[in-house]
Amino acid sequence: MQMITIAKYVALGGFLSACASIEGGERTGAERSVDAGIDSKSLTQLVAGVWVSPDGCDFWLIDDGFEGYLSDRLTPDGRPVCSGVAPPNTVVGPFREGSDIPDTL
Amino acid sequence: MARSFKDTLRMFASGFAAVAMSLALVAEAAQAQGHPPARTVVGEEYTPTIWIDPDGCEHWVMDDGFEGYMSPRRTRDGRPVCRRSQICGVIPSDQLFRTDKSDIDENGRNQLDNFFKTANAFGFLIYGHTDARASDEYNMALSDRRANAVADIARAAGVRVVDVKGFGERQPRASGNSPEALQQNRRVEIYCVR
Repeated sequence: MQMITIAKYVALGGFLSACASIEGGERTGAERSVDAGIDSKSLTQLVAGVWVSPDGCDFWLIDDGFEGYLSDRLTPDGRPVCSGVAPPNTVVGPFREGSDIPDTL
Repeated sequence: MARSFKDTLRMFASGFAAVAMSLALVAEAAQAQGHPPARTVVGEEYTPTIWIDPDGCEHWVMDDGFEGYMSPRRTRDGRPVCRRSQICGVIPSDQLFRTDKSDIDENGRNQLDNFFKTANAFGFLIYGHTDARASDEYNMALSDRRANAVADIARAAGVRVVDVKGFGERQPRASGNSPEALQQNRRVEIYCVR
């Protein structure tokens, strides 16, 4: 039983370190402006969908495989855009198109 | 006993106030010289790149390996930094309105109706702007009435109006007081939400 537990931790550790190397966990400075590893690309190419908050306002939602991004959709004078494009707590649009990595979450 | 404790507290409070005041003076003196004191910042380099959203506005984005971070890029007064492509249509006010008026004639109505029906957008943000020739208050009200007149036509055309607002003379498109600049500043801007 104890052997199995230890094996599980070892396997988990192996998975984490593999992820760190493919995604580039030890990154510094300007390296953070690109997405490295398996689904590598310039971060300027991210594809967003719209997430509607419980308040009914729009946010850009990007599911980039490993990383997720959320940022405000704003009017020209900096107020939130609350367009009614979808009901609260839903996402619409191609927010998972940015990566070929299957996302089961 | 209770009294002396109170006195001690009072003495302590006045002493604290004096110390705070002298600290404030030191800070003021440092500011008056125009040079904040040099200090060493212990930090890590985090350089972002820019992602442009479908509206044409910029966001700071960083990928730390596992985590990703993103936030809108804003001017210091809170407006998002956006590319020109964000605007769907600009209507010079001179084409649509008479001086100081906000009603739109038959020809203008038809043109706007056609625009809204063919723009292929989910919704519209409609903003009125004036030049700077009257008072700020008057211009805020005038630009608001004009934006709402355009929004009424949008609603009548069966499209969704997401936001309507008048900005008066506060967000000029062109600087200066030349007739050309003033004319450019009298406008109704329409943003398309897709």
